[in-house]
Amino acid sequence: MSDQKQMSRQIRLVEKTAGKMAQESAETLAWLRARDDYLQGFDYFLDLAEKGFDPQSSDSVREKAGRPLIYLLCIQAPLELIHAAGFHPFKIFSGSFAAGNLSAHGLPTLICPLMRSILGAMQMTGNKEEQPWILPTTCDWVVKFPEMMKLFGAAEQRLHWLELPHIKEARESQGLWLDEMVKLKGFLEQLSGRKISRNALLDSIAVYHRAWQALSRLVSLRRQGLLSSAWFLLITNTFFLGKAENWTAALEKLLPTLPCSVNSAKRRIFLAGSPIFFPNFKLPRLLEEAGLCVTGDDICSGERLFPGGVSFKDSSVFGLIEALAQRYHQGCLCPTFADNQRRIRNIEAQAEHFDGVVFHVLKGCHPYDLESYTIESGLKKQGIKFIRLETDHASEDSQNLLTRLEAYSHTLPSSGLRPPSPRERGEGNNSPHPLAEEGRGEGIRCT
Amino acid sequence: MAYMIERIERLRAFAQHISFVILMYGGRFGINLGPAVPCFACPFVTGCGGYCYLMGLQGFIGFGMSAAAAGSLWLFTALGWMVVFIVLVALLGKIWCGWLCPFGLVQDWLSALRRKLGVRERKISLQTAQYLGYVKYFFLGYLIIIPPLVTAEILPPDFYLPFCSICPGKSLLPLFVGETRYLALDYTNNITFALSLTLLIFTGITLVGMFFKERFFCIFCPLLALIHLLKPLSGLRLVKNISACTGCGNCRRICPMDIEAVYLEQKKADVQTAECLNCFQCAETCPSDAALGIDFYRFRLFSSSRSHTINTIAWLGKQK
Repeated sequence: MSDQKQMSRQIRLVEKTAGKMAQESAETLAWLRARDDYLQGFDYFLDLAEKGFDPQSSDSVREKAGRPLIYLLCIQAPLELIHAAGFHPFKIFSGSFAAGNLSAHGLPTLICPLMRSILGAMQMTGNKEEQPWILPTTCDWVVKFPEMMKLFGAAEQRLHWLELPHIKEARESQGLWLDEMVKLKGFLEQLSGRKISRNALLDSIAVYHRAWQALSRLVSLRRQGLLSSAWFLLITNTFFLGKAENWTAALEKLLPTLPCSVNSAKRRIFLAGSPIFFPNFKLPRLLEEAGLCVTGDDICSGERLFPGGVSFKDSSVFGLIEALAQRYHQGCLCPTFADNQRRIRNIEAQAEHFDGVVFHVLKGCHPYDLESYTIESGLKKQGIKFIRLETDHASEDSQNLLTRLEAYSHTLPSSGLRPPSPRERGEGNNSPHPLAEEGRGEGIRCT
Repeated sequence: MAYMIERIERLRAFAQHISFVILMYGGRFGINLGPAVPCFACPFVTGCGGYCYLMGLQGFIGFGMSAAAAGSLWLFTALGWMVVFIVLVALLGKIWCGWLCPFGLVQDWLSALRRKLGVRERKISLQTAQYLGYVKYFFLGYLIIIPPLVTAEILPPDFYLPFCSICPGKSLLPLFVGETRYLALDYTNNITFALSLTLLIFTGITLVGMFFKERFFCIFCPLLALIHLLKPLSGLRLVKNISACTGCGNCRRICPMDIEAVYLEQKKADVQTAECLNCFQCAETCPSDAALGIDFYRFRLFSSSRSHTINTIAWLGKQK
């Protein structure tokens, strides 16, 4: 095939994919709008999603954010620092199946569907401008991402790597990460041409703290089973698509209008594992069809969106950067960390709010895939029900997954009632203090 | 920027200020809590409302060892005050340090000033901090060993109250009632000169240290060491539910004494270390539900929670 022919074929393919992507997004949005629990307050987020996931997304986001964008992958770069430098942190993600197919030809068969989808979606824009990127070295896919991007014809990008130390509880690692943060500050200052002042940093921390406060209120409603995971994920997914202040305001307006009656017939589950991105809401949809209600998650596009709760006493610029560095590194439960025993504890500690755990593995997402086994064995020891679902952005396996989820749902005790774990029954109790049980009591006991 | 945050921290600041007024000026209103107060209520402050027990202890060890004291009413009273001290420590533990000590409040004022000026806090490296941690036991040993030597006439009487004569509390706290005389050098003899010079040097170091490092003097405080030795008697504990901790590091960052143990502990529930001042800022800023708690014997006084942390740092949004 001649070059010209190949080019025109590629152009046709891109056009076709753009159409498919728009269709995917429209389908998900239509499904959300047609739901019984739709409220007017969701419109802001639906609107963000509609415009933000357009292939021309960056323009729309740039308009909405009102400041130059910095592209991010993962959740370890402190949003407050980027915001204080006068930029809008824009976390790149895409859950589009069609976009994934566009880039599939130049990639390994078993690759993270998220990366495949992002690489595909980026071809839509032509990607000819130089953009600043901040990339933490989390998983292999992220590390290799810029190379892949180049292969797919992207222009030279302005990359800033954050060397992420993978043993987060070692003192040396924490020192290294703090150095990385100071370097990041230098990079941002060079980009913007002005110093990051203490007041700007305090303001940005306040902006994201307010967002975290609103998100925490939403999370607590969710714990009580008052919010569908589809809406929750829509809200968290759209966080980076506009001004954080506007997002917070819209959420604060929405919160009082949310209903307060709970459907007790549903079984409550905790959703763990790989992230879920718009427009691929297959899993939340199937979970609902199977009669399961998600009351908590630890996915990085959900409750772990950004760490929030940055507390500090030393309010000098260095003190603030140190606080941010620690919060974004040590508080992170990303599976790429070597010492991650706290992740499983995080699930256990919330056991009173759910009847079972659903672990989502995106095919090709190795860190989560591997960790699912550790978590499974840990949780089963505690008597917590566990199911592992391996899937990707394709919709063909929906029926299969639904059958499994329905079967799983039948094995769960009815809502709010979970048989006491061996630990609660006092068998194999190795805890040194009665307190270890005290924190996880109410709500689990059978009445 | 005032660090007056919700509930515990606000309550603590309130208690500190009330205690400061009573212990520094109480004598002027007829309040005297006696010579067994387990915090730096300095007896050198004219009109103070109670005396730091370190002075009583030095006097007790010094004079109590002499033949004259044997069987006297003085000895009986001194023993009585020791019992009072032990009871006070058993009741409140290190609340005396974090919540009631006037010298602690002075340190907190200086830290607040530093924060207001936007000056960065200087950290002491982990290894240095480990060595410095022993200094308070050295001072405790010093104030226990020297007085009997004075009684036995091995050392001259100028060494009477050996710790008070080099304690920065003695030079700094009387400034609040307008007394500057303890900042002067004492030329009576070589020993008084050496001691007063040491006091001046210590005062200088402490002042600079207190500005750049939160609760700098507490690292060296022999009274903290003494209260810690009585820990088994006290019912107040900082406890950690290891399974609820997500390891975010808030407790370590917020700790005025830079204690690592609360963050690192993976086995036992009791995380109250020798350096802990029971200020409970860690429990207040812990964003995990029920990960850190304050126990008084079997009673749960406070339990950390995400919702509390949100309120705790909500002041951020209100700033400026």
